[in-house]
Amino acid sequence: MTPLAFIKRIGQSLLVVALTYVFVYAVLFLLPGDPIESRINNPQNPIPEDQAEAILNYYRLDRPPLEQFWTSVTRILQGDLGYSLTNGRRVSDLMAQGIGETVTLAALALVFAIVFALLVALVGVFAPWTPVRNVVSTLPTLAHATPGFLIALILLQVFAYQLGWFSSIRDEGFKSLLLPAITLGIGGSAAIAQVLIQSLTRAANEPFVTVLRASGTTPSAIVGRHVLLNGSIPAVTLLGLTIGELLAGSVIAETIFSRTGLGFLTEQSVRSQDGPVVLAVVMFVSIVFTSVNLITDLIYPLIDPRLGSGRRRRSLVTAGASS
Amino acid sequence: MNVASRRISFVIAATLAAGMSMTACAASAPAASGGSSEKAGGTLVYLDAELSSNTQLQSSGTWQDSAYVTNITDRLLDRDPETGELGPYIADTWTVSDDGLVYEFHIIDGVTYSDGTPLDAANVARNLEWQAHGDADGGIPANNWFPAVADITHDDDAQTVTVTLDEPYAPFLNVLSFWRTSLVADATIESSLEAQSQLTGIIGSGPFVVESEKYGEEIVLAARDDYDWAPERAAHDGRAYLDEVVIIPVTEDSVRLGSLRSGEADLIRYIQPSEEAGLEAAGITVVGVQGAGNVNAWELHQSAPFLDDARVRQALQHGIDRQQIIDDLYTDNWQLATSIVTPTTFGYVDLSDEFAFDPDESAALLDEAGWTERDADGYRTKDGERLSILTYVDVFDSTAKPLFQLIQWQLEQIGVELVIKETDYANYSATLEDPAIGARRNGWPEADAWVRQTVNYHSQNTNGFRLQEPDEELDALYEAQGAATNDEERAKVVGDIQRHVIENAYTLPILDDTQVFGLQPYVHDFTTTYEARPTFYDVWTENK
Repeated sequence: MTPLAFIKRIGQSLLVVALTYVFVYAVLFLLPGDPIESRINNPQNPIPEDQAEAILNYYRLDRPPLEQFWTSVTRILQGDLGYSLTNGRRVSDLMAQGIGETVTLAALALVFAIVFALLVALVGVFAPWTPVRNVVSTLPTLAHATPGFLIALILLQVFAYQLGWFSSIRDEGFKSLLLPAITLGIGGSAAIAQVLIQSLTRAANEPFVTVLRASGTTPSAIVGRHVLLNGSIPAVTLLGLTIGELLAGSVIAETIFSRTGLGFLTEQSVRSQDGPVVLAVVMFVSIVFTSVNLITDLIYPLIDPRLGSGRRRRSLVTAGASS
Repeated sequence: MNVASRRISFVIAATLAAGMSMTACAASAPAASGGSSEKAGGTLVYLDAELSSNTQLQSSGTWQDSAYVTNITDRLLDRDPETGELGPYIADTWTVSDDGLVYEFHIIDGVTYSDGTPLDAANVARNLEWQAHGDADGGIPANNWFPAVADITHDDDAQTVTVTLDEPYAPFLNVLSFWRTSLVADATIESSLEAQSQLTGIIGSGPFVVESEKYGEEIVLAARDDYDWAPERAAHDGRAYLDEVVIIPVTEDSVRLGSLRSGEADLIRYIQPSEEAGLEAAGITVVGVQGAGNVNAWELHQSAPFLDDARVRQALQHGIDRQQIIDDLYTDNWQLATSIVTPTTFGYVDLSDEFAFDPDESAALLDEAGWTERDADGYRTKDGERLSILTYVDVFDSTAKPLFQLIQWQLEQIGVELVIKETDYANYSATLEDPAIGARRNGWPEADAWVRQTVNYHSQNTNGFRLQEPDEELDALYEAQGAATNDEERAKVVGDIQRHVIENAYTLPILDDTQVFGLQPYVHDFTTTYEARPTFYDVWTENK
């Protein structure tokens, strides 16, 4: 990638993030209801109009929409994410807590996803017994079709309620990460395993494998060093998307496992339309997505130098995706 | 819990029903280690169905926050949950002038807030000023239950606080016993709205203090060792028995129930009626608490089509079979409504005969109102228009959906179509502002049901019945209950309010609001306030 193309690619990413902000702000503004309105019109404690003015004025909700938008933009550019309209906490504190929890969870889940996918793909393609290969090859489809919450509840049922190995509600440090990470890992591994099975099968039948075999290379070296490397390119593309899926999937896993990461924060803030928090979460996710896409694009040439040229890379990826 | 997550819960519950029942058998009953009858010590793990969201006293309204605030603060007066009788608390004596305008409170000695500052007459006066006027610059409204206050003075030597009102306000003492009027340290009053919105920002003098909080994960309340000013009604003196209360929000129903069954939790709030029997069979004590206040009722909005006709509203009242609702959907822990307020509410009158289930009466009323034709679906029509009423499933009541569906079926039997729509928690308040919506569920336990009704239904306040023309008689009654200077006079007025509201069918009483708790058999002396909020002060556990 030339320096100009590199800068252009970064510019595109920044534009995506900025447009996401404007779009989400507009949607939040146009949708009826927000935490302040809920507080004022709460049937349990409706606040009369004259008193409600104090609240509206405090949050500047009585100002024109563009002024509110401008205030929001200038504050964000100064690094001030504001306060939650629901619970009064600093959005930056909520984000720090949420990101910390979720990144740890997603990282472990990613490890599980890769390990599960590799195991399933290697056994599914190279196991010497056909019935085993057939059974194992169906596992990704099964994992794909099983909702995350069901996996989560089955894990809780067995390991927390029946065996008592884990707490279903208390934070036990690293131990508490295992069940939600396995839940997410199983979901995330499905697509990676499917792609790996396909590409490993294809790579194993390519002429260079015959050449390697003829040259006396051991089967494990052929698989480990050559087939796996060649067959993993489509899976790397997918890995970028998987990180996004893990973030999205964390909504359900965190709700069920009583964890307070980004998924939990998203669920809570969207549920109450807590504007500043929703904006911060969406911005974070959009930054992660664009960064991951950017990094994935930059990584291709390192895995396969033939992908150095953009034109060639596109055609190969398309071919890989359509096969 | 919102509707979407409830839907997920139903799916989950159905999917795992078999698994759950296996657990009921497999999970060993939590051992009461040693079965200690020594009351002091131990931790109580309490799971609530909702997250602590906002604790600002004057403007927040969520049930769970009020429960936590209740346990970390004290109030000027105490309220007996059984009788509703007021008793001494931070004020050990008080007087009210004959004209109902001047209230004097004597503040007990030696009470301190958890930050070490004194709870004395000066601080009480400051609290009352803050409640009466709010802090407009800080975005804090006045307490809308407070009367117009002419003057608040305090005498530091005598430790008395004198409040002079513009006009008599009979519910004032009740209001002072309510969680919303909990006393807080000067530091809290001076802090920002954001700080007050978090439980850690509420500095109280109560038996517990917030030791730590991790947002959304847990709140740890620790007993205050120097607490020595519990109200007389409490079962003991001195510090709370429990060392700690760990509050964990678990919004997922199946996880909350599973954690209680497996012994990880000691106490949970909110149990679906269909789960109660299974829990009891597993050795869990299920307690249904009816707090005093307005019943769970459907207020009818007269801005909606057809509901400005009293005969239509009365027909709806007689078209609902409350006994069937209890029998089919609820349990013995629930009670059907017999007035617009619960039986323990001041001035309650049993009016159940006035709105008894009587489909023949409904039919006669609708015929009289001109709804004599029927369309192809069997609904009544007039001038080609179907008698149809729009409502939205209540997002605050976790048992609402089947309830709404059963009422829909019951009204269909008298030829009335009930159109049920759903929206989520965030949009509920805004959506319900639509004048075309005919019915909205309302009614919660309150310190004074009549103040709540005055705020909600007086045409000059929030006009909750959406009357197109003010009902001057009702307005006058609401004003008169406030202005009454003795209980006898006020009881007569609130009796008239009940009769007037039922007679005009402004609202459809359904059930007495019930909070259902599940607790382990080794947890004892669990009590609630007059408004059904849990109090942890007297609670003790054998499981240390």
